[in-house]
Parts: sequence; structure tokens; C-alpha cells
Amino acid sequence: MAFLEVKNIVKDFGGLVANNNVSFEIEKGEIVGLIGPNGAGKTTLFNCIVGYYRPNSGKILFKGKDITGFKSFQTSREGIGRTFQIMKVTTGLTVLENVMVGAFSRTEKRDVARAEAMEIIESLGLTDIKEYHINELPIARQRKVGLARALATKPELLMLDEVASGLNHTETDEMVGLLKRLNTEKGITIFLIEHIMEMVMSVSGRVIVLDSGIKIAEGPPDMIVKNPDVIKAYLGEKYAKSH
Amino acid sequence: MLVIDALLQGILIGLLFALVALGLTIIFGVMDIVNFAHGEFLMLGMYAVYWTNYFLNIDPLLALPVSAALGVLLGLASYYWLIRYLLRGPAIAQLFGTFGLMLFLQYLAMFLFSADYRMIDKGVLVGKSYSIGPFIFDGTKLAAGFLSLISFAVVYYFLYKTKTGKALQATAINKEAATYMGIKTDKMNALAWAIGGGTVGIAGGLLVNFYYAYPMVGILFVMIAFACVALGGFGSIKGVFFAGLLVGIIMMIFPVFGQIIGSDFLGPHFKFTIVYLAYFIIVVVRPQGLFGWKN
Amino acid sequence: MEKLKDALDFSDFSKTERVCFYIFTVFLLVFPWLGVGSFVKTVMIQFMLFSLFGMGWNTIGGYGGQVELGKAQYVGIGAYTVALMMVWWKVPFWISMPIGVLIALGYSFIIGYPLFRLKGHYFAIATICTSLVLKDIFDNWNLVGAAKGIELPIHEHPDFLYMQFKSDTYYYYFIMGLFYIAIFYMNWFRKSKLGYQLRMIKDDEDAAESLGIDIRWCKIKAYSIASAFVAVGGGFMAVYNLYIDPASVMELSLSIKIALMAMLGGAASLWGPIIGAAFLVPLDRFLGSWLGGHKGLTGIDFMIYAMLIMIVSAYQPKGIWGIIEQFRKRGR
Repeated sequence: MAFLEVKNIVKDFGGLVANNNVSFEIEKGEIVGLIGPNGAGKTTLFNCIVGYYRPNSGKILFKGKDITGFKSFQTSREGIGRTFQIMKVTTGLTVLENVMVGAFSRTEKRDVARAEAMEIIESLGLTDIKEYHINELPIARQRKVGLARALATKPELLMLDEVASGLNHTETDEMVGLLKRLNTEKGITIFLIEHIMEMVMSVSGRVIVLDSGIKIAEGPPDMIVKNPDVIKAYLGEKYAKSH
Repeated sequence: MLVIDALLQGILIGLLFALVALGLTIIFGVMDIVNFAHGEFLMLGMYAVYWTNYFLNIDPLLALPVSAALGVLLGLASYYWLIRYLLRGPAIAQLFGTFGLMLFLQYLAMFLFSADYRMIDKGVLVGKSYSIGPFIFDGTKLAAGFLSLISFAVVYYFLYKTKTGKALQATAINKEAATYMGIKTDKMNALAWAIGGGTVGIAGGLLVNFYYAYPMVGILFVMIAFACVALGGFGSIKGVFFAGLLVGIIMMIFPVFGQIIGSDFLGPHFKFTIVYLAYFIIVVVRPQGLFGWKN
Repeated sequence: MEKLKDALDFSDFSKTERVCFYIFTVFLLVFPWLGVGSFVKTVMIQFMLFSLFGMGWNTIGGYGGQVELGKAQYVGIGAYTVALMMVWWKVPFWISMPIGVLIALGYSFIIGYPLFRLKGHYFAIATICTSLVLKDIFDNWNLVGAAKGIELPIHEHPDFLYMQFKSDTYYYYFIMGLFYIAIFYMNWFRKSKLGYQLRMIKDDEDAAESLGIDIRWCKIKAYSIASAFVAVGGGFMAVYNLYIDPASVMELSLSIKIALMAMLGGAASLWGPIIGAAFLVPLDRFLGSWLGGHKGLTGIDFMIYAMLIMIVSAYQPKGIWGIIEQFRKRGR
């Protein structure tokens, strides 16, 4: 029994098929990357797994439990944390309060939530901005806040939607280091969508490739970069043939 | 027979409802703003015709341009002096803002015209009724239904057949894309408010022929219009037309049923309750309305 | 125990705020003995009553960010329960008032369940609809006095059980007690799990849900708390005015006033609704009594009201409290 099993997921939006019969498995402790060109249906697949969308057909099993059709708050309670590709720039809660809300999902007590939130904030190096609002932060910091509040729910599986987009080279490297640390130190399984190939290749143990809603390849990063189907999907027919 | 009569009366009043709701749905479609003050535009349109008739002795139907012009002015003034500023704020402020406008116009009318109920008593059609077959219609209601239909048709033609109208539709469907096409959003918003105000002004001018004008009359009709807009699907022009008819029919037919089965709850006192309930049930069960395309 | 500590703990406010709060408390305590006229005392009672309403609304409307415009129906439920139970069965206030709150709670769950499937405009209009439906029913229901309303029997002697007193001072201290319970409750609420979750929902619903928050259930809970608050106030209105009718306890304008006071003062802050009420209630009362003498001027008070709503919505949606905070930030 795999940690996360995705079986034959189909999702269409009024005739436009975003995911067509996608199946894969993720084992506990892995870091898996999901790549594909724009509009390949990556985010849709994510949203189906976390319960933001309900798939038209197919099954999702998490730790052996059927979570198909669960709402997002339910999958969160099962132990799936997520971040968003586009983080809403809000002015209400401070960074600390944002992370506290995440921690509140496992406790009733404010002191406990606060202590847990502080711990995460410190480990992610956000202490200096804990009283700021999200709209006051640069994008790299915003993404870290998104990550921090997801971590506060103590997820076993963390799903990251383009966590490195908009980051510069140093920031990306820092993020890669952070994800690896979370994976090894806390044993969190990570499943990430990424556009920047470089990042996926350096962090993931295994990569799944989606094109036009269909899974076209799966395997270790060094195999994936040589896969003709993947090259075709990314660089077009012409480039693939000339190789 | 009673039922058919109610059906026909419902269609007549429904045509007017559709015209009232038309402006609301256009504004919603273009800007995603709900105009609570829409009913007050209607109320002021009613007064416009009433006073023109009272002081100048002009037939109420000929005074319609006055209420239409007033409606357009009100729409433009609201947009340029209030709505534009509200757009910068959160949605909650937008709702409260138009709510404030609603209260302001209500009490302005109260201040200017007092709380008295006023109805037109002179005019070619006032007090006349016509029988068509076994059914008897008030002249004023026939005129209201007919002119509402014409006004609706004119606006419909404008929206779907003219360049400006199409630009407005494009803005409603996708603001960003419309901006790339060189359509000025600000102008389109203002246009939506002008059309919205103008149509509801005409509706008010028609309504005052057979319904009392008083400062608080708007809330009643704005709720009906909300029900129509929700039923038709927020932002849908075709939807609001049929929804108007449907709401008109529902309102006329339920009291008749009540009479037949002797139930007090379906009595005339509750005909608006039925509209509120209808709104509630519609948006809960089918938020996109019967013909809606917006989520 | 811990909850009580949270409720009484104001330490996260600035020193100025706390000092103001203490001075204000002392002021309220001695106020009836300052030799003020009965009119001013009535205004103070109204102020505390509306603060109570506003604080209730603030749970769902302020912290939760939902445009809720139907609170009057719960004022009505509270008021009618107290009045009817007293008229029909001579039930004392202290029993009928909690029952009214329970009915309001139950009703709010029934209404809230479908209501919170809706968002934005749909929701705002639907709250008005539910309120109007209830008012229509009460307006036409002969058993409960229809539009004429009901009068409460006046007792010859002051009676604590039925909350009937000759002097307004008793009512003053009673509503003051409720007012402070409300403040303490809200002080706890804003620091509670639900308080945080609601603010997250207001900020970003999708993110809130991804953090394990059952959005709809949270909103329903907050809505019910708000409803219970205003039902308490409604019960008080019945014994204080000794007369209620749908127009006075269920009118849409009451719902608007409740939301407006919280908005104007500053939604989602503890002091907001109180500041809003302190501003609007006297304005309303004094304008009303001043303009009442001039027959041609009816409506001016509401026009001023409406202007305020428009100005606040257009320029400072965060209300008076928002302005104060802004100045403070600049000072830092």
C-alpha cells in the first residue's frame, strides 16, 4: 500500500479535459516533482487531490483511506498540507497569526498554537517579519509564509504549487535546502509542482510529467531529461526529431 | 378563469419587473456591484413623472422622458461621485456604499416630498379599463407592460447590435481582455450606470400610473428586482427578461391559489414574502440562476 | 478558568487604551449620579444596547467579514419571546430571556445552514430576505398582535422578576452589566480559535480551508453567537419599552443600524462597535429630538447618517478605529 495512491483521475471543465486518466503513487518519505508545460493540468491535479475540486472519476487513497471527494479542510485534517501558486496578498492577519491559524488546526489552546507557530517561524527564518502583514512582504517571503502556515498544520504530505516561481537564484537554492531539510529532519513527504526544471531536478527523487492532462512519463530526474516524449512536450516536435 | 386572468396580469406586471431588473443586471454584469439604491432610482422616477404631471399638466405617459433623463443623471452622478471611489475598497464597503446611497435618496425624498402616498389622478389612460374577451385590463397597466417591452427591446438591440453595446458586453464577459481591445473600462462602467438609471427611471414613470409613490417604495421593488436578477442568473440580460415574467406571474397567481384553497398564508399580504422566499431558494439551490453564465 | 482569564486580560492593548477603558468604566458607573436628565440617561441606555448589538454583529460581520444585514430578526425573536411569554403565561424575564436566546440560536442554525452556502452579494441580499420574511409574518399574524404589536402589562410595584422598575437607573445598571459581559466575551472571542479562524476566512477563504478550517461551520457558529447577542438585547428592549411591534424590533433599518455602527467604529476590533455606537446613537437621538420639533425637517437625520455611510465606505472602510490605528502607525 502506497502512501498516496492516485488512480485514474479524470477532471473536465465543461468539455475541456484537464486531467485524463492520471494514475501514480507516492511512497512515504519521497520528494516527487510534477512537471509539464503550461496548461498541462498540473494545478488541476493538485486541486483534485487536496479536494479543492471534485474529480469526475477516479480514486484517491491517502494512507490507504479513500479520500476521493473530501473537501479541502478534510484532506488537511487527514494530513495533507498545501501552498498556493498565487498567494492572496492580504492585510488582515500578521505573519505570526497566519501561522497560528495553521497550528490551531491541531489544538484548541492559543498558547500552544502560538508556541508551535513561533517554532516554525524561527526555523524558517521569519522571526524578523512576524508582525508584518502579507501585503508588506516581498514575494520570496510571502511564499515562505505560505509554506510556514501549511507546515503548522503538521502535514505528513506537503503539496507545493510552484513554490519557487518568482524567486531569484539564491532564494531558489535556499528553498531547495529548506525542502530537503524538511524531508530528512521531519520526514515530510513532498509533492511539488514546478516550472523551473533546474529546481525540480535538484530536489526531487522522482519526477512525473504531465502533458495535456495525460501522464507521459515518470522516473528519476536524469532519465526524465532524456525521455524523448518529455523533450517533445517541452520543446516541440522539431527539437525532438533533431536529437 | 381566475387563474388565466392572474396569468395575464402577471405577464403585464412582469414586463415592468423585467425592465426594473434590467439595469441592475447590466450594472452587476459589467462591474460586479450590486446597486442597493436601484429601487430609489425607481422611486425618484415615479416622483419625476408625478410632479411633471401635477405642475405642468402633461400626460404621465408623455412625461416619461423626464423620468428617463433623471434616471440617467442619477446613474451617472452615482457612478462618478460615489461608485468610482467604492471600487478601490473591499466588497463589503461597496455593498455598504450603495446601501448608504439608498438611505440617502429615501430620506431625501422624505424631506422633499414628505411621507405622503401620491398617485396620479389625471391622464388619458388613468382610470380607464379595456376588456379583451372576458378579461378586463387597466389601461395604465396595459401601457406599462407594452412600453416596458419596447424599452427592453431597445436596450437589447443596443447591447447586441451596436458597437458600443458590444463593447459593454465584452467588458462584462472579460474586463481584462476588453481593456486590451482598447475598450475604456471607466467609460463602460459609466455607460452601464447611465443605462441602468435610465431604464429604471422609465420603469418608475410607468409604475406611478397605477401605484403609489412614497419615499420607501423602492425597497419593495428592489427586492423583486434582486429576485429577478438571481433567477435569471446575475448579469444575464435574456435571463432577467424571463425571470421578470416568471416573478410577475408567481406574484399574481399565488394569491389566487390562496383564495381558491382558502389559505391565509398565500393571501395578498404575503405576495412579497413569496418573492423573498423565491430569491432565497433560488440562490441556495441554483446560484447561477436559470440562464446564468456567471459563477 | 483559562477562558475567564483570557476574557479579563486586556494586556495586549496599549497603555493608553487600557487607561481610557478604565476611565470610561468609572464614568459609566457614576454617570446616573451626575444629575443628568432622563433624556440623557435614555441615550446612554440606547448607546449600551446598540454597542451590545454591534459587538454581536462584529463576530460574523467584522471578524468573519460577512455582509450580514438581517440581525433585526433576532432582535425581534428575543423581544417577542419575552413579551409573549409574559403576556400569555406571566413568565418572568429571567426565564423568558434565556428561552428567547435559545430560540434565536436554534433559528439561526436553521437559517444559517442554507444561508452560508452563499457568498458576497448573494449572501447579503439573502440575509435581508430572511429578515423581511419574518417581519412580514409577524406583521400579519394576529396571534402575536400583527402590525399593532403587543403591550406588556405594567406592574403596579417595581418587580425584579419581571424587570419592571420605576426609575431608569435600574435599567441603566442592568444594561451596563450586559454591556460589560459582552465586552469580556468579545475580548475572549477575539483571542479564541474561532476568532482567528474567522479572520483567516475573511482574509482568504481558500487558504483558510487548506488549513483545515470548515468554513461554513465556522461562519454558522459565528452567526449564531451574533444572533444570541442581539436576542439578549431584544429581550431587554421588550421590558424596557414595554411595547413592541414588528416596525420597532424587526425593521430593516434596525439591521442596517447595527451593522453600520460596527462598520463606522471599526469592524473586527473590540472597541469598534462601541465607538460607532457612541458616535451614532447620540447623533441619532439628538438630531431626532431636535428635528422632531421642526416638522419640515423629517429625514435630515437619516440623510446625515447615509452621508456618513457613503463617506466611510468610500474613504475609510476600516472605520474610525482604522483612522486611529493609521495615525498610530505613522507615529511609530
